[in-house]
Amino acid sequence: MHPQLQLLVALQDMDQMIRETEESREQLEDLGFRHEGLEALKNAREELSGKIDPSLASWYKRLTARWGHAVVPVVSNLCTGCFASIPSSFVSKTNVDKVQKCESCGRLLYWP
Amino acid sequence: MDIVEVLKHTSPALFLPDLQATDKAAALAEMVEGLVSGTSIHNPDTILQMLQSREHLGSTAVGPGIAFPHGRTLAVQRLTILIARSHAGVDFDSEDGQPTHLFFVLVAPPQDSGHQYIKSLAALIDRLQDAGLRAQLGEAADYDAFCAALKGA
Ligand SMILES: [Zn+2]
Repeated sequence: MHPQLQLLVALQDMDQMIRETEESREQLEDLGFRHEGLEALKNAREELSGKIDPSLASWYKRLTARWGHAVVPVVSNLCTGCFASIPSSFVSKTNVDKVQKCESCGRLLYWP
Repeated sequence: MDIVEVLKHTSPALFLPDLQATDKAAALAEMVEGLVSGTSIHNPDTILQMLQSREHLGSTAVGPGIAFPHGRTLAVQRLTILIARSHAGVDFDSEDGQPTHLFFVLVAPPQDSGHQYIKSLAALIDRLQDAGLRAQLGEAADYDAFCAALKGA
């Protein structure tokens, strides 16, 4: 996987963890979980975000604001964000030189 | 959600009856390796990073001798549960300072309708309040015996 895509996926996982912790905090704490590291996790998130190429980071931010998720898995050659088909030629380029975007919706593509 | 439903998300290939690691970092790595070899999941680094982040948030070793490492990641497409057991015990930063012997690792995709994953987590935590059951799980000979004990069969 492209190293920048790896970072973007990790960033999205972390953003979701922060969001879910804030949204479901009470429910999770009722189960016995603690979240004393939330501020530290937010700092780690900023640090990770700083390693991402600025143009990709701003694209990530725009997509997240619009759709909730910026990076989407490609399943059965479909963008799972908008269900446009992804040309098979994208797959061969995945690991090479750039982070791929869906030509239809612009979301960043990830092959799980 | 009942335990039978929860157990649909695991399999014999996702059962590690004798974890070798004794510290937290190595145990997480060993369990992620188990997840990848027991399924068609491809991206261990992403899963490991997510589980490590979750531990930074606060230790998931919340039961007596039990931990529930969990979280959502783009690296999986369906809820997947790995079960691991350590005879020696792992230092998992538990609240009571005691070693952890049982692990239920839940990894879920970013979206799951009906919060299957939180419900599964809640069902497991509830079921594992039973000290007699925990002792049985520590001794279960194999996956089938382990699941039978969990189901209360
Ligand atoms: Zn798309």
